[in-house]
Amino acid sequence: MALHPDQKLDVSKILEKLEEYRPRRKGWTWRVPLPPGSKVGDYSYREISQPLQNSVPLPPAKYFNHIDPQPQEVITAEIASGRFEDDIRRMRMAAWHGADHIMVIRTLGQSHFDGLIEGSPEGVGGIPITRKEIRATRKALDLVEDEVGRPINFHSYVSGIAGPEVAVLFAEEGVNGAHQDPQYNVLYRGINPIRSFVDAAVAKHLMASVNMLQIDGAHNANASSRVAWKVMPELLVQHAINCVYSTKAGLPKELIALSTVPPMTAPAPEFRLNFVYALTVRELFQGFRFRAQMNTRYIESDLLDATRIHVLDTLLSRLTSADIQSTITPDEGRNVPWHVNSIRGVETAKHTLLALDGMKEFVEPNEKALRGAMRDMKIRAILYMQDILDNGGYFEAVHQGFFVDSGFFPERVGDGIARDKDGELGAGTVVPRESDYMAPVCHHFGENHLPDGLEKPCDLIGGCTLDHPEKIQYLDELDETDNVEVRMQPHREKMASGLFRPEVEWQNDGFIQLDMTIPDNPDVAEAAALEIASRMGLEEPTVISKTVLHPAEGTYVEVKARVPFFIRRDELKIPEKPDVLDEASVRQFVGNRPIKVVAGTLGNDEHSVGMREILDIKHGGIEKFGMKYVYLGTSVPVEKMIDAAIETGADAILSSMIITHNEVHLKGMRQLDQLCREKGIRDKVLLICGGTQINNDMATENGMDAGFGRGTHGIDVASFIVKALQQRQRNS
Amino acid sequence: MDEKKVQQRRSELEALSDQQLNEKFWELAERIVDPLINLAHTHTSPSIERSVLLRMGFNSLQAKVLVDKIFERGLLGKGAGHIVWRISKETSLPVVKAGLELIEGRHWDEVDRVFKGVH
Repeated sequence: MALHPDQKLDVSKILEKLEEYRPRRKGWTWRVPLPPGSKVGDYSYREISQPLQNSVPLPPAKYFNHIDPQPQEVITAEIASGRFEDDIRRMRMAAWHGADHIMVIRTLGQSHFDGLIEGSPEGVGGIPITRKEIRATRKALDLVEDEVGRPINFHSYVSGIAGPEVAVLFAEEGVNGAHQDPQYNVLYRGINPIRSFVDAAVAKHLMASVNMLQIDGAHNANASSRVAWKVMPELLVQHAINCVYSTKAGLPKELIALSTVPPMTAPAPEFRLNFVYALTVRELFQGFRFRAQMNTRYIESDLLDATRIHVLDTLLSRLTSADIQSTITPDEGRNVPWHVNSIRGVETAKHTLLALDGMKEFVEPNEKALRGAMRDMKIRAILYMQDILDNGGYFEAVHQGFFVDSGFFPERVGDGIARDKDGELGAGTVVPRESDYMAPVCHHFGENHLPDGLEKPCDLIGGCTLDHPEKIQYLDELDETDNVEVRMQPHREKMASGLFRPEVEWQNDGFIQLDMTIPDNPDVAEAAALEIASRMGLEEPTVISKTVLHPAEGTYVEVKARVPFFIRRDELKIPEKPDVLDEASVRQFVGNRPIKVVAGTLGNDEHSVGMREILDIKHGGIEKFGMKYVYLGTSVPVEKMIDAAIETGADAILSSMIITHNEVHLKGMRQLDQLCREKGIRDKVLLICGGTQINNDMATENGMDAGFGRGTHGIDVASFIVKALQQRQRNS
Repeated sequence: MDEKKVQQRRSELEALSDQQLNEKFWELAERIVDPLINLAHTHTSPSIERSVLLRMGFNSLQAKVLVDKIFERGLLGKGAGHIVWRISKETSLPVVKAGLELIEGRHWDEVDRVFKGVH
């Protein structure tokens, strides 16, 4: 089974013979860096990695011959639809945009489930992590990585009260990375502190056995504290506790990634705080990996605001370092996991990292200005740890509410999260290993009194599942009503009839987004927006974001609503693509009958980039096929365009028109046509216009011979000119 | 921490070089973590024991029942995998088969005899 770029991924095929599937590799994979100075297109880069075979480049790439260089940092996409069959299609899209770390969020409440979940039930805010769901996902990702040409790391969570079992499951099924940090269980999941730490050592040891990358959970302190920047000393302490604990449990440093977030954002003077922190954490934790997460603490529902914050966060990654650049979207504030925003998050990271390629060659931290602040940060963290030890150690400190206190240590406010070491979920379940404790399996952390003379512990039982995957018992479905088959059945029927609806979260959910500016205050605007959506026949309209433009003058509103009907694919009228000559035919014609054109942007239009693309040999413009052009520049008056055509004996006038306010582009077209007629050259010269808002129908209705819109290449224009001249030859 | 102690410790730390500060940081982290990792070395939990049974070839439902039964009998500290392995030896059954029979309620007298010294 292989994927084809023009075909949908068939989830039913993924589910076939799932019981026989085995992951083809285990462990984490980093991108393969290219040597500094490697070229992509015309440009030399310092920090890029091996290219993809299939991808969607950044939007401006069309002005750079469609190059799609890949930064060296692994880029994360978070996927959280709650249905793995929908997640899979989203992963494919994210991978095409440059994500190679697919982080699948777990369903709400799984961390309190004392055991593994099986089958494929639907989740809330993420999927229930089950063997079936992760196996299907890993199998699909194998196909996606073949399609894009780069390994993809699949990631989820080894947290909650069933950590060791989840770690076994992940090790068996080829999950490549996972969050694991006992402090996360303790502080945010209300799981007994002793249970969390004892379980964590076994889980970490198992993760190490298959080279799974571990990401810690310290960044949550930043998201949870009342005043985020003040927890910076504590963040260093939390990172240190998990790092030391992990290495003692058997994870090598290079498999331990710190999850680090720039804690602040504007309107605060964020850089002075964030930069000091970022440098300090990297200096202290040399040899470990860094997963740079985007700040979500202050993001509400404004996508542009999120983008601004995330560009600056990524700037900080470039100024310091990051092994993984994570991305996240403000969807939690917008009601649904709007997948397109996850893609945009990936693009934001890729764009920023490429834009700042090699910046450290030119810019470096001012050591003298920074050192004092960095030392202060370290001293605060050391004082923090001395305080923990003074008070009897970690469990006592947690008990007293040391952590996530919003004071800038040594200041304490007293609003930290307190957890009882003998209380919380799972209290009283940890027991001492007796003197004859034994576990006949490999990669088991801790005391294990095995009989003498064994080569491997699991020789006692003839091998364990980590080496003998055939021993894994695959459970399919346990719930007849809540499973993937039940969910997919209606969609299969719809698809067979060629029916579909737009989607946001799940296939055919019908959700769309509308945006509008209402000339009134936010309350009126919200009510008006809902009324407008209802009158349009949309169902369940909800306002997902509002921006005040002025308290009385206007409010920008974004609305989410459901389309109540399906579209039939085969009934859609799709304009036929013009038949374009191949390059050799165009060259051959021009070789026998030279072609000359004059070109420029018309009227008061200074936008020349698109025009140059159509003309320039380097961008595959008409020059490439032997055509000659005279470029008249920007804002060329109609008269000058025509006079130049007469002077040079041009076969065509190419005018670019980007500005369309008050239909100035249509007026321009009609003037060109009219003046050519007045000068008696209309039958000798082809009038061709182009621009982002132009289409052929509009152009021909307004006196042009042809019009070209967004996405046009030189060959399209060259082919049109040749065909028109061939037609003229036939007529004469 | 009282103000005086903070001031005193601060001045001690400020006298350290950058390298010494980093070393101090990691030394304290180790001192905090050592008792935690020792606890993990010498203790086990239901989830840990289920993870052992999974590795031995049991599915999650079977592992759960077995560990619950072993926990109730106060034998988790012997190791769930140990008990199942031992019963498979005693009964000459394959490991998973032995576990399934334990789930059915069989061989628990044997478990008590071997692991609790009950005859």
